[in-house]
Amino acid sequence: MRTCPGTNSAVRSHLSDFKKHRAARIDHYVVEVNKLIIRLEKLTAFDRTNTESAKIRAIEKSVVPWVNDQDVPFCPDCGNKFSIRNRRHHCRLCGSIMCKKCMELISLPLANKLTSASKESLSTHTSPSQSPNSVHGSRRGSISSMSSVSSVLDEKDDDRIRCCTHCKDTLLKREQQIDEKEHTPDIVKLYEKLRLCMEKVDQKAPEYIRMAASLNAGETTYSLEHASDLRVEVQKVYELIDALSKKILTLGLNQDPPPHPSNLRLQRMIRYSATLFVQEKLLGLMSLPTKEQFEELKKKRKEEMERKRAVERQAALESQRRLEERQSGLASRAANGEVASLRRGPAPLRKAEGWLPLSGGQGQSEDSDPLLQQIHNITSFIRQAKAAGRMDEVRTLQENLRQLQDEYDQQQTEKAIELSRRQAEEEDLQREQLQMLRERELEREREQFRVASLHTRTRSLDFREIGPFQLEPSREPRTHLAYALDLGSSPVPSSTAPKTPSLSSTQPTRVWSGPPAVGQERLPQSSMPQQHEGPSLNPFDEEDLSSPMEEATTGPPAAGVSLDPSARILKEYNPFEEEDEEEEAVAGNPFIQPDSPAPNPFSEEDEHPQQRLSSPLVPGNPFEEPTCINPFEMDSDSGPEAEEPIEEELLLQQIDNIKAYIFDAKQCGRLDEVEVLTENLRELKHTLAKQKGGTD
Amino acid sequence: MNVVFAVKQYISKMIEDSGPGMKVLLMDKETTGIVSMVYTQSEILQKEVYLFERIDSQNREIMKHLKAICFLRPTKNVDYIIQELRRPKYTIYFIYFSNVISKSDVKSLAEADEQEVVAEVQEFYGDYIAVNPHLFSLNILGCCQGRNWDPAQLSRTTQGLTALLLSLKKCPMIRYQLSSEAAKRLAECVKQVITKEYELFEFRRTEVPPLLLILDRCDDAITPLLNQWTYQAMVHELLGINNNRIDLSRVPGISKDLREVVLSAENDEFYANNMYLNFAEIGSNIKNLMEDFQKKKPKEQQKLESIADMKAFVENYPQFKKMSGTVSKHVTVVGELSRLVSERNLLEVSEVEQELACQNDHSSALQNIKRLLQNPKVTEFDAARLVMLYALHYERHSSNSLPGLMMDLRNKGVSEKYRKLVSAVVEYGGKRVRGSDLFSPKDAVAITKQFLKGLKGVENVYTQHQPFLHETLDHLIKGRLKENLYPYLGPSTLRDRPQDIIVFVIGGATYEEALTVYNLNRTTPGVRIVLGGTTVHNTKSFLEEVLASGLHSRSKESSQVTSRSASRR
Repeated sequence: MRTCPGTNSAVRSHLSDFKKHRAARIDHYVVEVNKLIIRLEKLTAFDRTNTESAKIRAIEKSVVPWVNDQDVPFCPDCGNKFSIRNRRHHCRLCGSIMCKKCMELISLPLANKLTSASKESLSTHTSPSQSPNSVHGSRRGSISSMSSVSSVLDEKDDDRIRCCTHCKDTLLKREQQIDEKEHTPDIVKLYEKLRLCMEKVDQKAPEYIRMAASLNAGETTYSLEHASDLRVEVQKVYELIDALSKKILTLGLNQDPPPHPSNLRLQRMIRYSATLFVQEKLLGLMSLPTKEQFEELKKKRKEEMERKRAVERQAALESQRRLEERQSGLASRAANGEVASLRRGPAPLRKAEGWLPLSGGQGQSEDSDPLLQQIHNITSFIRQAKAAGRMDEVRTLQENLRQLQDEYDQQQTEKAIELSRRQAEEEDLQREQLQMLRERELEREREQFRVASLHTRTRSLDFREIGPFQLEPSREPRTHLAYALDLGSSPVPSSTAPKTPSLSSTQPTRVWSGPPAVGQERLPQSSMPQQHEGPSLNPFDEEDLSSPMEEATTGPPAAGVSLDPSARILKEYNPFEEEDEEEEAVAGNPFIQPDSPAPNPFSEEDEHPQQRLSSPLVPGNPFEEPTCINPFEMDSDSGPEAEEPIEEELLLQQIDNIKAYIFDAKQCGRLDEVEVLTENLRELKHTLAKQKGGTD
Repeated sequence: MNVVFAVKQYISKMIEDSGPGMKVLLMDKETTGIVSMVYTQSEILQKEVYLFERIDSQNREIMKHLKAICFLRPTKNVDYIIQELRRPKYTIYFIYFSNVISKSDVKSLAEADEQEVVAEVQEFYGDYIAVNPHLFSLNILGCCQGRNWDPAQLSRTTQGLTALLLSLKKCPMIRYQLSSEAAKRLAECVKQVITKEYELFEFRRTEVPPLLLILDRCDDAITPLLNQWTYQAMVHELLGINNNRIDLSRVPGISKDLREVVLSAENDEFYANNMYLNFAEIGSNIKNLMEDFQKKKPKEQQKLESIADMKAFVENYPQFKKMSGTVSKHVTVVGELSRLVSERNLLEVSEVEQELACQNDHSSALQNIKRLLQNPKVTEFDAARLVMLYALHYERHSSNSLPGLMMDLRNKGVSEKYRKLVSAVVEYGGKRVRGSDLFSPKDAVAITKQFLKGLKGVENVYTQHQPFLHETLDHLIKGRLKENLYPYLGPSTLRDRPQDIIVFVIGGATYEEALTVYNLNRTTPGVRIVLGGTTVHNTKSFLEEVLASGLHSRSKESSQVTSRSASRR
């Protein structure tokens, strides 16, 4: 029993048997045909017109021995008796005898066609088409010869060869085969085109539907423009399908002998199925949102995510509170009763400090985790793939990224658990060390803060570094998301009851995964995709956005109050609204989007006199850095504030970043942005040179 | 165990194997029916099959740009295809036979293929009509002469049944109804084929081997005589379903495009959801369907003024079009059914039918029949079938008053054809030929059940009847089917309860039985049943079957037979 693959039913093939029988038969048949063609070739090899009929006859007789006249008293085909009037004729190809009526003729063109085709098929398989009318020519020939009954006895065949019906039949079949090989009817050509178009639709339509569905859901994975381009493209193919099938439908309608009804039926059916195809697929092409609608959708989605996160945050908050209670029970040493305060004790003094250490760690442990490296790489791959418009790849990459991040989370959790075990033992030691280090570190941190905030990779490393010192045992096992939420929620307790330590404890986690979450918590506008990307290349802007808030809540009361309004303004103002218009085209590139939101809050913030007063130590750079509008303006603004020379490393980093932006912008065709960025780059380089000169 | 799927798979495979390009499907009369049951035109068009031709049609054009897929029964079609290959009309031929083909036929085919146009020669065993996933038919009307097989039909039935087994990959144990000579004969023929083609039937052994149960219609002549109230069965009873097609041309005032409609569960969602529901439920469902349709009807329809507008509209809303087709189809069908029900007074008739079939109150039944025979609305057809049911049930009742009823029929003006059929039906499925007791259940459970039923009253008087097949299958599933009534063919018997069951009814199954099997499949986990018959009957076709069996020739003595046997008792 054999089963055909793909079905669950029995089948049995007779093909091998069939082929065996056929091969035996075909050999015989092919030999017959070839024999005839070789003879035909010999018969046409000489110049018939200029040769005497007697000589022709001699040659013809030499090709194939003629059957003796005496042996055949009756025509073998029609049975009529041969006589003086009904003369015998010999087939030049097989030598047999038939009467005049049963005789067939092969015209020279046909003979040539047959012989040349077989010659060519021996050498190459592509043969130029011979006169296709030869069939008709030969038929006409035979008809005319039949009508000319008054043929002379020694009628000279200078342009044709006599043969019997059997040989003629065989040769005509052969001719038909030759014709078919060469001739493709119009309908086939059109049909092939039609199928190509259909394949194209099958290819493109699902991609488009995916895009449209995503866009309609308010996601920013794909760009609206790209999608509408694709839509137009698909629609054009549909039009082509329609046109082609119409053409097929009308094929040959104007021909004089109208096509055979089954041909017409075929044409109708093709047209019908093409219409069905278009109807079915076109209907599936959902429409795209307009730009305005898209904005609306995006907002809605964000709000929804917001709500979801709020719920989760609530849960996280509760669990955090529980943890904190337990912790405070465990470690009663610090005045504020918080383990985290170990390190962060002086944090309340300066608002920025809360998250400085995280960044401080950065430079030191850049490449320590291959996973992070990998995540980083993939993120950039995704960007490149997006720029190249290879959505399939983007999808796979994003999948990879997600897996990596999960892996990383898990790894981190495990590590943290292990570390926390040791924590208890080391704690005392650390406290001493820290006390000593604190002063020094603070200094260093302040410097490195900017670097850190610019530096993606390091940010996460940061976390690792801090882990041993900072993470509470109970907190570690939490998931990535929980961390983020935790972070987001942390300002609440800290602001209500200014327990800074709790904040500081959450900070490391925030650095690790949090920035987007924080940003979103405060600014509903901040884009979602970022969070999906995980540690993206430049989530700084997000961080920047969040930082003022952070400051506001954690900082000294004065600063907090002064900043609060600005934070609120940010929330209500929704700076993204305008930005989005620009961003739409780049929606496929989530990395760019975050850049733009930054300027708005900051320009406001910078103008805020109170902030400057209250936080002279806050390095302004993180905010401006990612802004693609003009980071340098900002830089110069904050420069005096920071009262520190810009680090060389920072500058280099920034240059790199800007270069990346330019690349992006070029990819997306936003030339105006490219200009601005190039301007920025020049300025940056200038600054670098100046600084080098200065420090040297 | 889904016969529709099995056949569809075969067809899909054929089409797939021929590769891309325009195709023509060359079929014979029977395979055309087989294919049309599982594929709609638009479905098959999508697979680039644009033309459907009959192999025996002389008027086919040479179309060398088409590939030919030939799906043929291995009959004299072999000669047609040999002729075809000598002068091929298409570029390439993929040849599939629906059953076993002889080696000599393969050889003659091969020798005819001088132009080497054949790319495939295979046996694909789609040699039966797949009606529903669990129901197949061979569309044979009149399979028996007297009590014995018409030899041609026996061979066709054997082919169909073995093809079914092959397509489902079952090599079954066989049981048959002992009281039927035809059942035994068919069982032997199937066994013979399995033995001869043992290579084909070498399937992976399952723990519990599948079972083929062969029954004879004459064991239950009641079921095909009853009016039906579930959608599919009712449509077949009142309008007639032929290969999923329903002829509505006799419906008064029918529109042109509804003269013939197709009811196929494969691509008609409404039908698929409602085919087993009863008439009342369908009524409300069709109302919902209408309302749904009204809702979906686009508002801008008023704007459709010019023909171009409307054309564009229809082209733009294929779903709407499809739905409107569904709506008008079912509305028409259900409307016609309800017209017939009231015109023929079928509710009342059916109530009495059910009483005759399910209860044992002779005098009340007799009274009711007499009353209905007086009713001018009751057609001669329905009158005759009431008397037939009476004759079957009370064949040997002490106060049998069949002669009186026959007089009543004559007085009512019922034609002789029907009156003769009464005795023919008794001859066909009377007590003398029945192997089991159709009317009085013997086991305690069944008696209690019936008793309880009597106490509770029945939920629906029109659907009280359970086909006898239900009891048979129930026993079979529980391993209690008596071996002295349904012996195994051959020495081996099934120790476990059967899981995969194929029931075949010689003389035709009915849609009521199909519903029973459907419900059994649904409610009995681990058991899969497929029902088949030489055909699927309604009362009309069943009476034709009875006629064709030729038993009516003896009908003159039949009343004597009845009385004789009655007196013997």
